[in-house]
Amino acid sequence: MNPSRWFIAALGAVFVFGELVLGISLFRLQVLNVAKSRESQAIQTIRRVRVPGRRGRIFDRNGRVLAECRPSRCIQCNLEEFQRRGASSNTVAAVDAAIDALSRALAIPRQISAREIARHLHTASAIPLVAWQDLDEATFARFCERSHEFPGFADHVSAERTYPFGSLAAHVLGYTGRSDPEGFENDPVYFNEKEMKGRGGVESYYNRFLSGVTGEKRVTVDARGFRPTRAHKSIMDETEDGDVAPANGLDLALTLDIRIQASLERELEGVTGAGVVLDPRDGAVLALASAPTFNPNECVPALTHAMYANLTNAPAKRGQNRAISEGYAPGSTFKPITALAGLATAWMPEDEYNCQGVYRLGNLRLHCWDRYGHGSVNLSDAIEQSCNTFFCNLGTAVGSNAVITAARAFGLGSRTGIDIGGEYSGVVPDDEWKYRWYNEHWYPGDTCQMCIGQGMLLVTPLQMAVVAATLANGGRVYRPYLYARREGAHIASAVRRIPYEDDAIDLVRKSMKAVVETGTGRAILVRTEQAQKPGERRRRFRLKVDCAGKTGTAEIGRGETKRKNTWIIAFAPYENPTVAIAMLVERGESGGKTVAPRVHNVLAGIFGEEEVTGGRPSVHYYEGRD
Amino acid sequence: MIAAFLSKLKRTDWVLTACMTCLIAMGTAFIWSACSTRQIAVIQNIWRVHAGTAAFGLAIYFTLASIDYRRLFDFVAIPAYAGALVLLVAVLIVGAEIYGGRRWLWFFQPSEVAKLAVIIFIAYLLGREGRRSFKWFAAAGAAFAVPALLILKEPDLGTALVLAPAVMVMLLVARVWTKGLVALLMVALLAAGLVLGTVYVAERQNDEARKAQMYSRLPLREHQIKRLKVFLFPERDLKGTGYSQHQLLISIGSGSVWGKGLRKGEFKALGYLPQSVSMNDFIFAVVAEESGFIGNLLLLALYLGVLLPCLRIAFKATDERGQLLAAGVATLIFCHVYINIAMSIGLMPITGLPLPFISAGRTFLIVLMASLGLVQSVAVHNEEIAET
Repeated sequence: MNPSRWFIAALGAVFVFGELVLGISLFRLQVLNVAKSRESQAIQTIRRVRVPGRRGRIFDRNGRVLAECRPSRCIQCNLEEFQRRGASSNTVAAVDAAIDALSRALAIPRQISAREIARHLHTASAIPLVAWQDLDEATFARFCERSHEFPGFADHVSAERTYPFGSLAAHVLGYTGRSDPEGFENDPVYFNEKEMKGRGGVESYYNRFLSGVTGEKRVTVDARGFRPTRAHKSIMDETEDGDVAPANGLDLALTLDIRIQASLERELEGVTGAGVVLDPRDGAVLALASAPTFNPNECVPALTHAMYANLTNAPAKRGQNRAISEGYAPGSTFKPITALAGLATAWMPEDEYNCQGVYRLGNLRLHCWDRYGHGSVNLSDAIEQSCNTFFCNLGTAVGSNAVITAARAFGLGSRTGIDIGGEYSGVVPDDEWKYRWYNEHWYPGDTCQMCIGQGMLLVTPLQMAVVAATLANGGRVYRPYLYARREGAHIASAVRRIPYEDDAIDLVRKSMKAVVETGTGRAILVRTEQAQKPGERRRRFRLKVDCAGKTGTAEIGRGETKRKNTWIIAFAPYENPTVAIAMLVERGESGGKTVAPRVHNVLAGIFGEEEVTGGRPSVHYYEGRD
Repeated sequence: MIAAFLSKLKRTDWVLTACMTCLIAMGTAFIWSACSTRQIAVIQNIWRVHAGTAAFGLAIYFTLASIDYRRLFDFVAIPAYAGALVLLVAVLIVGAEIYGGRRWLWFFQPSEVAKLAVIIFIAYLLGREGRRSFKWFAAAGAAFAVPALLILKEPDLGTALVLAPAVMVMLLVARVWTKGLVALLMVALLAAGLVLGTVYVAERQNDEARKAQMYSRLPLREHQIKRLKVFLFPERDLKGTGYSQHQLLISIGSGSVWGKGLRKGEFKALGYLPQSVSMNDFIFAVVAEESGFIGNLLLLALYLGVLLPCLRIAFKATDERGQLLAAGVATLIFCHVYINIAMSIGLMPITGLPLPFISAGRTFLIVLMASLGLVQSVAVHNEEIAET
């Protein structure tokens, strides 16, 4: 055999060896290291897109819809259909021109700018660009009919939050904004639309319940980061591996009763103030209002700068929920608490004090609102007539600690725990507190101030509603709530019982009944219609049920800023109460004159009223402050 | 007459024909797959062009197989070689410039034709007794060098790279100046090692000026140095220069054992593989992704089914021209296959070379089939001499 043949045989061996090397390399690549390649492929071709579930609705206790999702008709632009060669600005220009053309053809003004198109192209080219949203039905129908003329555009219906009753219960509900979900900012392969998120109120507190569970869709992208165009889609399997369907949010049925809510808000119209109506039997919130208010529909889909200013600008601060997040001096509505503190220590119900119109304590001179004095009054009379000097004397007699303990037993000075955010704890001052904030020790004068609900004492209207409810139900402090997560859960939320004897509580309740019948708060029980024409009798309307209450007028500020915040706490019916109410009006005249008629109207809306004919005419009418 | 025809049929290597046909069929299928996602009708129909060219090629294949290659050589070897040179010069002057190179004369590539012309010419030159001296080596060397330089000028480094081993093997088979040749081979390997080594050392330099100075000594273009860098440090710049290599690797790897199925490959559809080359130079990635490891084994087996019969024919050939021709053609095809697949899986730097029978490319396919037709002619005719 000649050497050439040997060489050819060797060449054959080289060929086989060469192919063997290729085969082994391919085996390593395609069999042993598949996982690595698959992972690299997934990283570059698969984008995860968040799919939010439908947000749950919010009802009142009678099933009226307070918040729901309405369809928002959108036109989407599929960017991949407008890809142009070269710089991305070419694609932006193509999309821009297409949007212009569509805008002219359908006579709808543009909603997005070229800059927004470019931003979307650079950050989220794999998901469609929403070119128009919230279109009216006619325009949308016009587009759908002619959509084949506009390749690359598609109709789409997304959800938008709406509040059918407008501003009603706005502070309770809050509103929804849209934002990027948290925790994914740095994950470039995780796309999302701006998702609805509750802001303020129930929308925020129960956001997790309402928003449901966000799902996930997987989108394949090509080398330029676009979704595959239709031509590619026909080839590739549309697998749904790894897709997670979203779960819709839960519907919430609140304890609110919109009829009570509406009448409460009507009474607060035009003033600055707040009101809370509780069910004293379990702490359910029947109505909670703050004035001035706002319309949450104006806050969706996104809060504008103008709207933000509208919500936050002083003095109106429409966004501020005064019922829970602002502290006020309670004024005389605090006196029932002082009374209980006294009864629990040394003061006897029949102990009397002679009111001379002024209370002197060292250099301090504290005036009673009746400058001539109430004369000799016992505790019951003192509550009925709201005698300041009596309670100053009582407080001095029993000491500040008893009063502080009583206030705290009612839950003042700490958050009630209502299920909406932004609650203020209020202040029940003591020596330590005063030293910390004012670097001064507690003076007996501070005790006097506190006993009549002034000084450093600060409470929220909600806390006063809890006080009213506690007095109404005979001493149980409930945690106020808007939504019962579990059936009967509120029973456990009876935080505690106040440590006072039933007799003492009864005495205070009786006194409060006297307040509305013969005392400073008669306007709660009876509405007097002024005569329309001279000579006509005044007509008087009485609630159909007995009730009890306490007026309050807190003086704050000095000189020019001096003003009065006026209060009422009340509950009805007197026996087995079902409603407890606290209402505050800033810059009022007095509790009895400013707030009492409003509370009457709210209660009349619940229990009804009837005209009083004949009967005992009013003996005298207190014009002074209480 | 009929008896002669039957004996010719009998001597034809049918394994070679069958494997070649199978490869072309596979090629047509994967070209169809690679182009199906493109929007342009002309490109979508490339697979039809491939099949049509193959039909035309088969006619040439059988015609050449039935003609005695020795007679053909006498007529054709010199004119073909001269014609190839003319075309190579012409393409440099009037050729259309595509992707930074002048490789096309209207619809065909002269460099592909030149490969066969050179092999035929060298087989014709050395295939006689007594042509073993250095003079013949020099003649053969010149016959290779002139077209090789013209091809490098295009520039088409890949074609020059595959032609060199083919000529080398022919010289070794012809036993022309064997010692010198082996020495030359060593020098070539050394040079290749030196170039790679320089790039490696330069890349590990921190001093930019020094790096640039080292690169300036290499007889390579910038893009070639870049490819060597990617080859040596594939993980360095996955989104820039190393992008193609990285995409080739993960598309092949993601094919796994059984592949994703014909037309189901995602890399070419989504544009991760450069679309302009996914049906020719990068088609192995499409094949590997869609047919998997099993498909690749079949592909390699089919190539052996073409290469080994060629070597068998060379081995059995009684006449030296036939031996040289068969060995040269086999080496040419092997180099194409090996370099293309090796660069796809990162064993070699990226070079623009088509995969025989699979890649779209009319000139190359016809040249391949004509070459194999001639090899077949060797199988059919060289025994006649023994008989007479």
